[in-house]
Amino acid sequence: MATAMDQLVGFGLVAFSLLLFVYYTIWIIILPFIDSDHGIHKFFLPREYSVTIPVIAGLLLVLFVGVFVVIVMWKNRKPAKKSD
Amino acid sequence: MTKLAQWLCGLALLGTAWATLALDPLGLHLPLPCQQVLWPFPVYLLVAFGCYSLATIGYRLATFNDCEAAAKELQEQIREARADLSQRGLKF
Repeated sequence: MATAMDQLVGFGLVAFSLLLFVYYTIWIIILPFIDSDHGIHKFFLPREYSVTIPVIAGLLLVLFVGVFVVIVMWKNRKPAKKSD
Repeated sequence: MTKLAQWLCGLALLGTAWATLALDPLGLHLPLPCQQVLWPFPVYLLVAFGCYSLATIGYRLATFNDCEAAAKELQEQIREARADLSQRGLKF
């Protein structure tokens, strides 16, 4: 059995990604087929954000990964001079 | 053909299909809700793939079982190796 913390984090990730997937699916695929005077539309942001938010999040992710790689490589650099 | 070339061909095919339907060069006017669904579709596929990856990682993290016997055997091997190496003069 994985530790309780592992299980909590693991199933938490599963629940979060499921929620995200359901919200995004309804936003992108189902809402266009619902009349614009239905009440459900007030739970969802305007449609432009459905593209800008994931793109910006993806760019931020790439930025963090790049910064992490730069920091690790910087820490591991060896001095070029040898002590002969 | 390499795997990379196969993937790129597949992506190019899907991209062309999406562009043909979304940018509407042929002038076949789809109904408006279909156009509205079609435009963010590549981003939707990316987000869906990201959600699937996250869920798979979370699920495998939660269901990963400890291997008691393998852990004990490994500790035993570590002790043997330390004893052997310190006998040969390696300092820990």
